[in-house]
Amino acid sequence: MALMPKRVKWRKYQRGKIRGNACRGNYVAFGDFGLQVLGPAFITGRQLEAGRVAATHFLHREGKVYVRVFPHRSVSAKPLETRMGKGKGEPDHWAARVRPGTVLYEIGGVAEDVARQALARVAHKMPVRCRFVTRHHA
Amino acid sequence: MVETIVLKLEKREGRGTAASRRLRKQGLIPVIVYGHGADPVSAAVSLHDITLELQHHHKLVDVELDGKSEKLLIKDVQYDHLYDKIIHVDMTRVNLNERVTVTVPVVLRGTPAGAAEDGVLDQLLADVELECLVTAIPEEVRVKVSDMQVGDTILAKDIKLPQGSVLVTDPETAVATVRVIAEELEAEAEVAEEGAAEPEVIAREKESEEGEES
Repeated sequence: MALMPKRVKWRKYQRGKIRGNACRGNYVAFGDFGLQVLGPAFITGRQLEAGRVAATHFLHREGKVYVRVFPHRSVSAKPLETRMGKGKGEPDHWAARVRPGTVLYEIGGVAEDVARQALARVAHKMPVRCRFVTRHHA
Repeated sequence: MVETIVLKLEKREGRGTAASRRLRKQGLIPVIVYGHGADPVSAAVSLHDITLELQHHHKLVDVELDGKSEKLLIKDVQYDHLYDKIIHVDMTRVNLNERVTVTVPVVLRGTPAGAAEDGVLDQLLADVELECLVTAIPEEVRVKVSDMQVGDTILAKDIKLPQGSVLVTDPETAVATVRVIAEELEAEAEVAEEGAAEPEVIAREKESEEGEES
C-alpha cells in the first residue's frame, strides 16, 4: 500500500496550479546530501515509496534515508469507458505537490559518491527533473 | 586560515525588490549593515568577493564603507529557492573585544568502533551555537567518534570546544549516535502494509454530528 494520510479534512480537491518556488523545505536539513526538484510536480505516493526503496536497497542498510515530503493531496479519476459528466471521479491515489527547490530525499551517514549513486537511481523514478545537493553549513 | 580580502561596500539608494534585482544583474549583492545603536546602512557588495569570503567560511570580514575600513560580522546570508545564488547578506557592527553567538558546523572525525558490528554512525546535529570572542570564531568543531560502540551517543556537552568558547546549544542535545537500522526497516514495511484503503474524513464527521443534533 502506497503512502496516504490517516485523516483528511476533504476527500477530493480541485487540481489547481502549482505556482511559485519553494520557500520552505528547500535545503538539506537532516542528512548530508539531498535530491532537489527543479520543477513543479505532483509526486504520487507510489513514486515516493519506489524512490525510498531504491535508495535503501542501494545503500545496503548503511546510512539513513529521509523522505522530506508526504502525499497529502488526493487525486481523483474517472473509471475507464465512462461518459463525461455525472460528477467528479472518486479518489484514485495520493500525491505530494512540490514546488521547484523542494528537497525530496536526504541521505546521511554515507560517502558522497555512494549518496550520488543512490540518489541518481531515485531521480530516475521521479516524474520531474531533479538534482543532487549537499548540505549548506552555517 | 586564508587571508581575508577587503570587501568594498557601496552605499545604495534604491530599496525593494526591483532595485535589488537591478543590482544583482550588475553582479552586486544587496547588504544591510546594522548594530551597535547606529543607523542601519543599505549597501551593495561584489558577488564574487562575498562568495570568496563565504567559501572560506569567514565570519568576520574587513570592509571598506564610506572610505573607512572596519570589521563586520556576517550575520545572515539569504539564498534563492534552489539554495544556489546568494540574494542578500546581513552584516553587524562588532567590537573586537565583544563576545558573539555564532553557529559553527560540527565535523565528525574517524570511523566508529561499532561499525564492525553493523552499526551506522548517524549525525543528529549539524551545527552548534557557540559564544566566543569575535576574533576567535572557529571554522568548525571536530568531534572524535572512533571510540563509539553500537548504542553510544555523544551529547553536545561532550564536545571539546576551543579555548574561550562557551556552548549555547542545549547541552543535552544528541550530536551523533551509532545504531543498527535493520530492525527499523522491517517495522516500516509492516506499517506500509497495514495502511487503510481510504483515510478518515474529518469534514464528514462534523456533518453527521450536525445532522444528529437537528
